[in-house]
Amino acid sequence: MPYSLLGLVALIGSFFISEPPDWRYWFPFAVLFILLEFFAVEVNDRMLQSSSVMVAMTAGVILALLPDSDAMFGMALMGGLALFTPADFREKRWFQPLANFGQFVLAATVAGFILDLFLEGVAVSPESLVRVAVVSMLAALAYATVQNVLVRHAVRTVFGRDNLEPWSQMPVLFIGQVTMGLIGGLIGAAFLIADRQAIIVFIVGVYAIGHMSLYAFAQLRDSHIGSIRGFVKTLEAKDMYTRGHTERVAFFAQMIGEELGFSGTQLETIRWSALIHDLGKLAVPTELIRKRGRLDEDEYADMKAHAQLVEEILAEVDFLQPMVEIASGHHSNFDGSGYGGSTHSEGQAPSLEACIVAAADAFDAMTSARSYRMALSQQYAISELRQHSGAQFHPEVVDAFERALAKSGRRWGAPHVNDEEMARRLAEEPELTLRG
Amino acid sequence: MASWGARTLSIVSWLYVAVVAGLGFYAATLATSDPIAILTGVTALVVASMVGVAASNSGNRFTTGLAVAAAVPMVLGPVDQVDLAGSIAIYGIGLAIVWALRYSRSEKHVDLLPSLLRRFVGYAVYATVYSALRTGPFTELSGDWSDLFPFAVALAAWIAVEVFLRAMLVVGKRELSRSYLARSLLHDLNVFLGLAMTGALFGELWPAIGWWALPIALLPYSFAHLAFKRFQETKVTYKQTIRALARIPEVSGLGTDGHADRTTDLASAIAMEIGLGPVQVEDVEYAGLMHDIGRVSLNEPQILRMGYSDDDIARWSSEIIAESPYLSRVATHVRHQYEPYRKPGEQTDPDVSVISRIIKVAAAYDWQVHQDRRSPLQSLETLHAGAAYDYDPEVVASLRRLLESRGVLTPVRA
Repeated sequence: MPYSLLGLVALIGSFFISEPPDWRYWFPFAVLFILLEFFAVEVNDRMLQSSSVMVAMTAGVILALLPDSDAMFGMALMGGLALFTPADFREKRWFQPLANFGQFVLAATVAGFILDLFLEGVAVSPESLVRVAVVSMLAALAYATVQNVLVRHAVRTVFGRDNLEPWSQMPVLFIGQVTMGLIGGLIGAAFLIADRQAIIVFIVGVYAIGHMSLYAFAQLRDSHIGSIRGFVKTLEAKDMYTRGHTERVAFFAQMIGEELGFSGTQLETIRWSALIHDLGKLAVPTELIRKRGRLDEDEYADMKAHAQLVEEILAEVDFLQPMVEIASGHHSNFDGSGYGGSTHSEGQAPSLEACIVAAADAFDAMTSARSYRMALSQQYAISELRQHSGAQFHPEVVDAFERALAKSGRRWGAPHVNDEEMARRLAEEPELTLRG
Repeated sequence: MASWGARTLSIVSWLYVAVVAGLGFYAATLATSDPIAILTGVTALVVASMVGVAASNSGNRFTTGLAVAAAVPMVLGPVDQVDLAGSIAIYGIGLAIVWALRYSRSEKHVDLLPSLLRRFVGYAVYATVYSALRTGPFTELSGDWSDLFPFAVALAAWIAVEVFLRAMLVVGKRELSRSYLARSLLHDLNVFLGLAMTGALFGELWPAIGWWALPIALLPYSFAHLAFKRFQETKVTYKQTIRALARIPEVSGLGTDGHADRTTDLASAIAMEIGLGPVQVEDVEYAGLMHDIGRVSLNEPQILRMGYSDDDIARWSSEIIAESPYLSRVATHVRHQYEPYRKPGEQTDPDVSVISRIIKVAAAYDWQVHQDRRSPLQSLETLHAGAAYDYDPEVVASLRRLLESRGVLTPVRA
């Protein structure tokens, strides 16, 4: 809320301080800027998402260089209008747009101020291009800094923590923003020097086409993961006791990964690995999956062979190969014992990622109900992980998991079942009720 | 074409390159620009042609050479006139060099042959229209939206010629229908337009700011380029993943090994042959890969006990893919894949799409050849016999043409 007030003050202030923009130039860029923000695309490395900074800087440089117009108010207004994203409407979030408003206006005002300060009265000629380049870099730097400081602050006050996933790639994002601001500024100056309005059409055209492709890319990426999810659902539909298991394992694995300070791409790899960690079961006859008690040696070998065939096929997809390796490594123990997939040899320690998936898998297996026992409590599951930490589980992973669970504040499993024998009896004799 | 020897073909291909180069050199003698400018243009074109982006799975590939070519008529020569002959000279010579490089590396002359001619004619039309419409010098037009007009019309003419020639010159690619070829280019128009506009941006900026125009024009494009590339890469990966998933029931012993893959190849070839567009061909591919995925349910003991029908498998398959966002659009095609294409007394069944009919024919053919061990001709006969209700006769006829052109069946001529 203070942001939106500050933003409003900045907007009104800039209106009085600076000259109004040349609306003919302002309008097309404002439309493009708002559209780009509205259809902002979340790409994995988050670098291209904020390409709107380029448009803002183009408009800013044009407005600052034109004799009868200033950049500050024009940019502030442009920023203030781009406050909505489709998700806000879908999820009926009205607080977010207000914060966005303040944050955009403040960042744009500062950038506009810098542009006005250094570009006022500069001649529109090829000789001044170097100056324009330096100034737009400065302005873009200010724009990015203000925005990041504000967002960081907001996140800290709202969520009470600092190490949010997006911020792990801050430097890349920063460099990207500054570079795009620089290009945007140069385009603006070139546009005025060449004095041809047709250029706008080409710039906007190339830009829009690129953005459309990026949008298509983001959608396809989502459906890629969606397809795997669809398969997992089918797999789980076979057995009511494992329903939702994969999604939960992915959730826990991501939680541990965040706690261990993994970055965006690494987290995505872990999420994918967790999603596919049980796909091998698709090929295993259901009676084996559902069998109560231990499998005999032949059955076990059969199950392993089937699961391995699926892993081999999935590993043929280049993109999935690292994930399959992690997923197949989750069977093996931290000390290197146990079966860990086709690439695993006895005594070799599995990767950290595989250990994360293993811990998440084991935790969910304990805290959800099975046909032969009730769900166990979170406390029991953690103590089990702890007990086998160093042998079956990675000690760092167990520590991180415990911390992350404590932070999340949610509890999993049945709160009072702290004993495996009790859990079995409860499942076998439904009339037994538990008194906490 | 098939009766020609590879040697003859190679000679003809090189002859083509020589003719285009000759035309280029002839145009160079008529050009008003100096040889240095033309040489620079040719070099830029050849270098830019090394950087390309594969636009889609239909095999269209565009290079930044297109942007250079689009810019040439705008920047060549003095500002007050278009050097048409010079532009054509640059394109002809540049294209001949690029194609000579490609021929020396590739054996597939047949595929490259028509595109060389098409590109040259298309570009000549673009340059001619542009120079005819650009009456005044750049400076007089400046500050006016009418700058756009010559470029827009010339670009439209270029695209029209490309699409038309692409559809007409189907040398050696008899499996592809003209309609498919033309539509696949229109489908990839975004890449074409992005490149052409980048060239125009450079051309517009050049007279005012000189070489500064290069980074400024290239940077928005590099953003677009990155986006094109990532989209294509993801698409390839996605298809690989779907292909891998399609094989799960097969390796588990719940289906015939390779059935989904072979059915998909055959079905998409039929789709291209009968003239569906690239979007539908893609749907055919996904539907083909997923048409038997419901077989993963066959390892459930109670299903094996109770038995199942083809219709059950179609239902399970469509239920599985309906859960996936991108694939869900082919779920209905998969659902109706086993149904007859028409009911007695009715011309067609509107529920059974052409995609379902193609899958039905391709899957049945592959099943008979690989599972029932019949000969291709016997299998085709069964399909012909079932063409009253089960199999769409047009699709069966297309399959026959396809098998003939692939040499699986000997062509019968009346």
